[in-house]
Amino acid sequence: MVRWRARWTGGLAALLLMTACGATPAPAAVDEPVAPVQLRTAALTTPATCSAGFVPHALEHTTRSGAQVAAVYESNGAGVALGDLDGDGRDEVVLANLAGDASLLWNRGALRFARQALPVTQARAVAVVDVDADGRSDLVFTRRFEKPLWLRNTGLPGDARFSAQPLPDVNNTFYSMAWADLDDDGDLDLVAASYDAEQLKHQGQIFTQRGGIGVFVYWREGATFRAERLATAAEALAIALVDLDGDRRRDIWVGNDFNVRDQIWLRAGAGWRAGLPLDSMTENTMSLDWGDVDNDGQFEIFASDMKPVDKDVATMARWLPMMKKMTRPLTSDDPQHAENTLQIRGGDGRWRDQAYERRVDSSGWSWSAKFGDLDADGSLDLLVVNGMIAAGLFDHLPGAELVEPNMAFRNRGDGSFVVAHDWRLGSTASGRGMSMGDLDGDGDLDVVVNNLESPAMLFENQVCGTRHLTVAPRMPGSANPLAVGARLTLRLTDATLVRDVRSISGYLSGDPAAVHFGLPPGAVIETLRIDWPDGRVSVLRDLVPGQHLHVAVTS
Amino acid sequence: MVTAALTRARLIRVPLWELLDPREHGPAMAWSAALALVAAVVVRAIGWPLWQASALAIGLMVPVFCAKWLADRRRFGGTVTVLGILVVLQGFHGLEHVVQWIQYHILRWPSFISSGLISAANAEWVHFVWNWGVAATVSFLLWRGVRNRWMWALLAWALAHGAEHTYMMVRYLQVLDEFRALGVSGVSAQGLPGFFGRDGWLATSPLTQDTFLCRAPGVTTAVRLDVHFWWNIGETTLLLMAAHVRMHRAAPPSA
Repeated sequence: MVRWRARWTGGLAALLLMTACGATPAPAAVDEPVAPVQLRTAALTTPATCSAGFVPHALEHTTRSGAQVAAVYESNGAGVALGDLDGDGRDEVVLANLAGDASLLWNRGALRFARQALPVTQARAVAVVDVDADGRSDLVFTRRFEKPLWLRNTGLPGDARFSAQPLPDVNNTFYSMAWADLDDDGDLDLVAASYDAEQLKHQGQIFTQRGGIGVFVYWREGATFRAERLATAAEALAIALVDLDGDRRRDIWVGNDFNVRDQIWLRAGAGWRAGLPLDSMTENTMSLDWGDVDNDGQFEIFASDMKPVDKDVATMARWLPMMKKMTRPLTSDDPQHAENTLQIRGGDGRWRDQAYERRVDSSGWSWSAKFGDLDADGSLDLLVVNGMIAAGLFDHLPGAELVEPNMAFRNRGDGSFVVAHDWRLGSTASGRGMSMGDLDGDGDLDVVVNNLESPAMLFENQVCGTRHLTVAPRMPGSANPLAVGARLTLRLTDATLVRDVRSISGYLSGDPAAVHFGLPPGAVIETLRIDWPDGRVSVLRDLVPGQHLHVAVTS
Repeated sequence: MVTAALTRARLIRVPLWELLDPREHGPAMAWSAALALVAAVVVRAIGWPLWQASALAIGLMVPVFCAKWLADRRRFGGTVTVLGILVVLQGFHGLEHVVQWIQYHILRWPSFISSGLISAANAEWVHFVWNWGVAATVSFLLWRGVRNRWMWALLAWALAHGAEHTYMMVRYLQVLDEFRALGVSGVSAQGLPGFFGRDGWLATSPLTQDTFLCRAPGVTTAVRLDVHFWWNIGETTLLLMAAHVRMHRAAPPSA
């Protein structure tokens, strides 16, 4: 077995051009259409420093609310996205902002970044998506009081330039969004939803008199989008496009704030069937993410809400005045509860909340929550960023700020969790958007948090002594070049790990178009299977850990 | 009809019934109950809240119960009368928790208004005083010779129950202190988790996090309303058993 070792000497791009190999495509099952692929590998770098935890680095960006003390809904902050915008193999960091420019932090390697201000203000969500499928990743922002903005990447590899334009025929103001191929036609469709409370505060009753906004699916049709309205009202802080009924087609889950029940639409034929296959759900859904936390081949779904982690006197005194203002009457059979949920699908097809039993029911005033194998032991961990600044809601606290640490939960290997204080991810800055990706080319997951009113932070993963495999599946020449929706199954000698490529998850935060596998000690890779969004399958063998794989469909 | 029913109960010779039997006060008690029921319905109809209607009904029943207990004192002596009073009052307290349970689980009321018949009494200090009052009364009865294994078990149960209410009361007062320090007013700290139940001390303490205790079904998963329902079901059951055994020992041999 060839072991590849390489020092970081100036860019992953150069490394990507080194064709390592030993990996060979292998046949898929008999009846499955096979996608031939071209494989490029690059050795992951060896971390220069290990500290068994994460090391914070301030980034050159601060999301400002525009008020002396943020009030609702400035309090909600903005998102962050990771993605390679210049084709050098390194993911850039894009940070949305409310009262100021957004920031594009060009990744120069070794955790050095060069900031470019993007003239996008009042932005909420941000995602790196190749909207026009030209092979150059674009940026899409949702904005508080304007239509989504598409920053179309018009540059050449290594020289990204952007032209700002609206998404064609997307004519509403949205808070949250998600992208995926929902109709299996090969291109990316958009699901977007409004946050009506903010619009009502801004526009007054004219907002509802005009018919509101709600939830839309924008079907991609050539160069434009065709709108389908699924709901006329929403308080959507998060959207998950994930298969909920086991038919391998992506369904829509809209997570709503303010006691408004989450909305779910299941794909049924060419249309949608509204349904709520949940016994229990969050009352104020702040964030949605999915991942296979117990390595059984099925995704579990995590939704964050607001519930104090500690129940000590000081914490409860800080929380109770707000709870009195915010809590509304619920019947005892209302499925909504003000705590996180971890939905696990049973054999009968229904989802049941196991958050309390698995000890992730409370994480504070939570915003973005995402799964990621932070310690690379083969099991998905969970990171939740927290905090709130809200004049009128927390006036009893200094600066009207509820100061809380971010919460990292280590997966115990069976899908239950324990708080991982030793990872040093418990920043008390007021986090909102958060995303994970390998920003320094060493394979492990680093974390970027877009805080409100304090500098954004990058948490460098220095949990060493583990092995990684990162995979960037690509479908060049297709209408979905970043292979959003691809499902990757890594079969090890004694475990099977499943990941997928998604555009956005958590709270307002775009994900890199690559997946990360942490490898338990002693694990040997048997196969990597890629279920492409177009239904074809590729199976790779003879892979070794410590590599970044660039897997491109060749036809 | 009422008299006939009471006579039948006497014929069965359930020792516990000796303690509850209204005897010569049966008709007065039946009339009082009917009056209390009618009064409660009427005042509810004119808009009184449930707790005021319930309090009125109870108030109308007090005189006849007092008369019965005075008669019991002459008949059984002071100690057994205290036992009888405790059975009735704890029985009503247990009934309050049963009503809360029904309001929450059957009627599907929100938890914060599932407060039983006299919601105004569903306050942290009321529960604290009540439960230590029960523990003190049980201690008194033991001291006065009402001793059987059920009574000892009841004492242990009542002390544990009182300890949990002490924990909750202390936290309640501490939160109020914190409110004062933060300048917060007009906010209740009622309803915080206790030692047991969901989000209680046992469920959240670092000491239990790697043990089965932190998620033991019921013990650390039940909501507060259920936890105290079971506390009171246990307490009332033990009290009834203790009283039954006590009265059985005192009963004359069967004819």
